[in-house]
Amino acid sequence: MGRRRRRRVDPADAARALPEAIAVLTRTLPTGPSPETFRRAKFDRPEAAPALWRLLFCVLSPMPADGASPSLALEAQARSVKAALRFQGYPRRALAQLPDDGSQGGRELLLALAWLLARGPTLEQLLAQSRVRLGDEMPVCECESLASPGPAVPSVEADGCVDIRHLQWLMGKLRFRWRKLMASQQEQCALLGKIHSYTRGCHSDRSLGHLSVTETELLRDPEGGQQLLQRLERENVRLEAALEWRRRELVFWQWMDTVLGACPPEASQPTFLPKIPAQGAAELELVVRELQALQEELQGVAETRWAAWEARVGGHGPEWSASRRALQEAVRQDLVALQWAWERGGGLAQPHGPHRLVRTEAGAPEGRGLQATEVIEVLRSREACLEVVLGQLQGQCRQELARLVGTLPGLIWIPPPGR
Amino acid sequence: MLPADCSSRLVAELRDALDSCAQRQRQLERSLRISRRLLRAWEPAKTPVPEPTPGPETDEEVPSSACSPSPQDLKELELLTQVLEKAVRVRKGISKAGGDKAPTVKSESTATSPATRASTRLRASDWTGSHASETKPPRGIRQTRVPAKDLSEHRLVSVEDPACIGRGARAAKLEPSRRSQETVPLAAPQAREVFTLKDKGILLQLPVAFRKAASQNSRLWAQLSSTHTSDSGDAATTAKNHFLQKMQTTSGWPSSRLSPAEVEAEVGRLQKACSLLRLRMGEELTADPKDWMQEYRCLLTLEGLQALAGQCLHRLQELRTAVVEQQLEPWPEGRLPRASSPCGGGADTIRSPPLLLYSSTQELQTLAALRLRVAMLNQQIHLEKVLMAELLPLVREQEPLGPPWLALCRAVHSLLCEGGERFLTILREDEPAD
Repeated sequence: MGRRRRRRVDPADAARALPEAIAVLTRTLPTGPSPETFRRAKFDRPEAAPALWRLLFCVLSPMPADGASPSLALEAQARSVKAALRFQGYPRRALAQLPDDGSQGGRELLLALAWLLARGPTLEQLLAQSRVRLGDEMPVCECESLASPGPAVPSVEADGCVDIRHLQWLMGKLRFRWRKLMASQQEQCALLGKIHSYTRGCHSDRSLGHLSVTETELLRDPEGGQQLLQRLERENVRLEAALEWRRRELVFWQWMDTVLGACPPEASQPTFLPKIPAQGAAELELVVRELQALQEELQGVAETRWAAWEARVGGHGPEWSASRRALQEAVRQDLVALQWAWERGGGLAQPHGPHRLVRTEAGAPEGRGLQATEVIEVLRSREACLEVVLGQLQGQCRQELARLVGTLPGLIWIPPPGR
Repeated sequence: MLPADCSSRLVAELRDALDSCAQRQRQLERSLRISRRLLRAWEPAKTPVPEPTPGPETDEEVPSSACSPSPQDLKELELLTQVLEKAVRVRKGISKAGGDKAPTVKSESTATSPATRASTRLRASDWTGSHASETKPPRGIRQTRVPAKDLSEHRLVSVEDPACIGRGARAAKLEPSRRSQETVPLAAPQAREVFTLKDKGILLQLPVAFRKAASQNSRLWAQLSSTHTSDSGDAATTAKNHFLQKMQTTSGWPSSRLSPAEVEAEVGRLQKACSLLRLRMGEELTADPKDWMQEYRCLLTLEGLQALAGQCLHRLQELRTAVVEQQLEPWPEGRLPRASSPCGGGADTIRSPPLLLYSSTQELQTLAALRLRVAMLNQQIHLEKVLMAELLPLVREQEPLGPPWLALCRAVHSLLCEGGERFLTILREDEPAD
């Protein structure tokens, strides 16, 4: 039989392991720099820098789903990479000091890439972002609607004063856009319904049953279908590489340690620290104000009621204290559960992410997936909540304005007719 | 006129909202274009074809574009042949089962036989990916003798794979021999018939290469999401942590420093906390306690909510001081796209997307409309808060009673209280009439 497993890796294997690992890594990365680039980067060769800048840009900026983003110049990419890394809390300052023209810094960029890979499931996330979507997908949560809009748009606001009528005009434009959006969405759903029902039974996967728009399109347009097939095959290659990477990555990390060791030590006195963007600070202030308002409201409401309660309910016997303790415990658990909802991302209990739309007959056996009726219910209750919140805010404004104006004599304030 | 900083902030927010709307609209329109096109009659492919050849039985057609079949093609052809044979067997079973199938088949064949004829000719004549001048059906069409309503696997599979060009000729040879039992072999060229999804959508079938790639794709995704832990995984994780540690220590920065991403994430969580607390408060206030125990519980809850709000505030103030302390360097211009949304970063999305089952178009429309409505409400609430924060102080500060202030009040009221849709009227009583 002979020894199948060796304790120590054969030196020849070890020598091959690193280049192979790097080769696998480059196969799974989106813009795949060559393995040679990595080696050059370790020795801080300048020619490695541009490819790594581009790679980092690809990794850090989420690919816009609709069409290709206009490709930026290397300088702009470099600046964007620096900003993104700082945003994520990248520790090394040397990267921030690299020139934007991409002429230097291979080693620092390599370290940055490794840092990103080490911190989280970066590769998997990259793959998931650029994934070929074969079905008609619809997100069932609001997470994407709460995220800020896509690529960084430099604020080109005319920094002059505007009249409030301009704001009113913008609001009107916004309302119109929403209406148009609603109408287009309804049409799209009707068309989807038709396509799904016309192609029922055509899919090789029985659980899906019918074709999606992408799949039907591939049949209508063979050339486009070819391209889709190629994209799918490319993705398969990347997926296989990602799986293989998991088996081989150890030697890469050991190598990165040596790369880090080869760097000159940074000055221990930090002179620059990243600044939280002003936009973030404004949002923080908003939340502070909201919480303070909430606290005051709670206090105001509770005080009077406590007093009333104390008056009605004097001292009670022993069974009173037992039930009191029980109630306290129940409330405590309630509140802990509530706290969980925002702290640990307790929303994971709810379905998230895009789901593939599948048309079935009503009353089909459950268990295959999420039912639209359930999602509709959740959304309805969510809608009701939000309407209440909006109504409260508007009511607050109404009161405030009425108060401000009401102090002035000689004015009659005629509100518009109610809904 | 509004002051400059207020103006720019509000205009920026509104433009943001308008842009995100426009982005959604663009995506929708793209999808709409594609869907509309799919529901119309399908156009033939672009490349012109040399003249069509006569009956498929007669010739061994060499495709005009050179594409010698590869071993893979031959293998797929094998599979194709097997499927065809099976289909014939099945069909024989059907036709034996129902005697009246034949006439219905014939009547169906008015719909399908043009397709039949067309695709036999199609296979025979050109495999360059183009259609003969009179043949219409797309690549994926297959012949079926079964009435269109009978959706089952009894379909004669004649898969035209757009990926392989050279195959069709061989298939053409095999096909007609099966076909000749059932179809009327037609040699005469037919008028162009049009493929619409409505009539013939059921006949479609995905090409083999695509199916293979798609199933491999979902298999690989499943593997990727499942192999999170393994032996090598642990060692790699330790190595990664070691590397991160070393990066941190060599940089000279305290590891307790918060990154902007973390601050933002935490502020988001606390904002969610605020809305949840407020929601809960609303529930407690609208509930009507019937006895002293319920009232006690209600009051305890309100007290607890207040304590939680206090905790959140405290945390926010900690964050605020941390933010202030770290502001030492000018921020590069341009706004950054947010880090991956909590949704996309989850492990769940690594698998194939789960299914969302709907049963009628109405249901789908309701679902989509509600989604949009919720998104719109979220946006409105955000805008409302921002507008309140900016405009109410203006109204408070400006005390002069002149018409400009009243105009401002009216506009602010409309924006803040009516969503900009309605206006109120202000009458002044002591207006001298002239």
